[in-house]
Amino acid sequence: MAFDVDAAYRRYAPMVLRRCRRLVRDEAKAVDAMHDVFVNLLRAGDRLDDEAPASLLMRMATNVCLNQLRGERRRPEDADDAALLAIAAAEEPGGLSFARLSLGTLLGREPESTRVMAVLHHVDGLTLDEVGREVGLSAAAVRKRLRGLKARVAAHDQEDVA
Amino acid sequence: MTTRTPEWLVERLRQDDLPPDEAGAVRARLADEGGLDRLEALARDDARFAEAYPPGPAVGEIRRRAAARAGSRPRPRRLFLVAVPLAAAAAAVIALRLPGGGDDDVRLKGSSPRLAIHRQAAGADPEALARGAHVRAGDVLQLSVVSAGRPYGVVVSVDGRGVVTRHGPGDGPLAAALPAQGAVPLDHSYRLDDAPAFERFFLVTGGAPFPTEPVLDAVRRLAAEGRARTGAPAMPPGIAWTDFTLEK
Repeated sequence: MAFDVDAAYRRYAPMVLRRCRRLVRDEAKAVDAMHDVFVNLLRAGDRLDDEAPASLLMRMATNVCLNQLRGERRRPEDADDAALLAIAAAEEPGGLSFARLSLGTLLGREPESTRVMAVLHHVDGLTLDEVGREVGLSAAAVRKRLRGLKARVAAHDQEDVA
Repeated sequence: MTTRTPEWLVERLRQDDLPPDEAGAVRARLADEGGLDRLEALARDDARFAEAYPPGPAVGEIRRRAAARAGSRPRPRRLFLVAVPLAAAAAAVIALRLPGGGDDDVRLKGSSPRLAIHRQAAGADPEALARGAHVRAGDVLQLSVVSAGRPYGVVVSVDGRGVVTRHGPGDGPLAAALPAQGAVPLDHSYRLDDAPAFERFFLVTGGAPFPTEPVLDAVRRLAAEGRARTGAPAMPPGIAWTDFTLEK
């Protein structure tokens, strides 16, 4: 079955753009990220089969925005923004690339990016249980994954201070 | 401590994306905090979006980007060399990011020879592929060899048309020496053609230099027998092999 990108855009693009706006805080960059989310969706095509498409799309948007933010050197606007920039700059536990994770997760072959989980927990305010439900892990597993990322965020902060 | 219902959950509620019990809980939570109007606010924003970013131009842009990232059209040869600098660039990243198994909580120990395959898209990091990963005509692949101490080896592939290809390292009559440690990318990246069904790669290793032609013959026989996708090739004595199949 061919993937209907037009129908997906009509239904989900407003939500995806809101997600991107919240993370990158710049309208032009948010629109750019929104386009990229649907590019990824289009490229996955009919292999995409997810029972919760809104959650999947918002996780994809989070991944795309983290990629955008990774190279940014700007002053955080507030605590959420600071947390987001630190998460974006941190290395993924296990050394996995965003590119691998974003497509692999989309196709159900890879676990969710730990950085996406960190954003859900530390920026969006979801509990560990809620994050676990989003990504199909137990709260304990989420906590374990976030612990590894936290060390990397701390290391990155140390580098910045130095 | 009670916190405001996360926007994430409100968006999912609006999209009917939550299981019924969770949807009920989120709706009740919103009602408790007097936040049901947040759903209406999302509806209003959806309407504004439709005016500001209509689907026609946006979907056109999305298709344009997708086509650009899919790369050039497949060429007649089943696999062909891509610029060496790409392989070199990928190698630097791969060296940092291997191992690339299917579980980011468990790092592979590399105790036996294996292949690693990365897909390279323009402007993106190499993507480590797992066995059984789906690939398409036009995908650019970088193969890397982890010898795990086996001193000599060759990489061979067979595709869904039964075409057998040698990938190196080297192209002499004998298998080339392999570095003892680490993942070593082959000299060239490859772009897949439109052969159907699968691409199966073999890493064949030995304790001493061995002739590569019998190895190629073993894989050709497999293809001739219609067992290329999953069959075990009859390799010469003393030769070990491991495989890595990608689906198309």
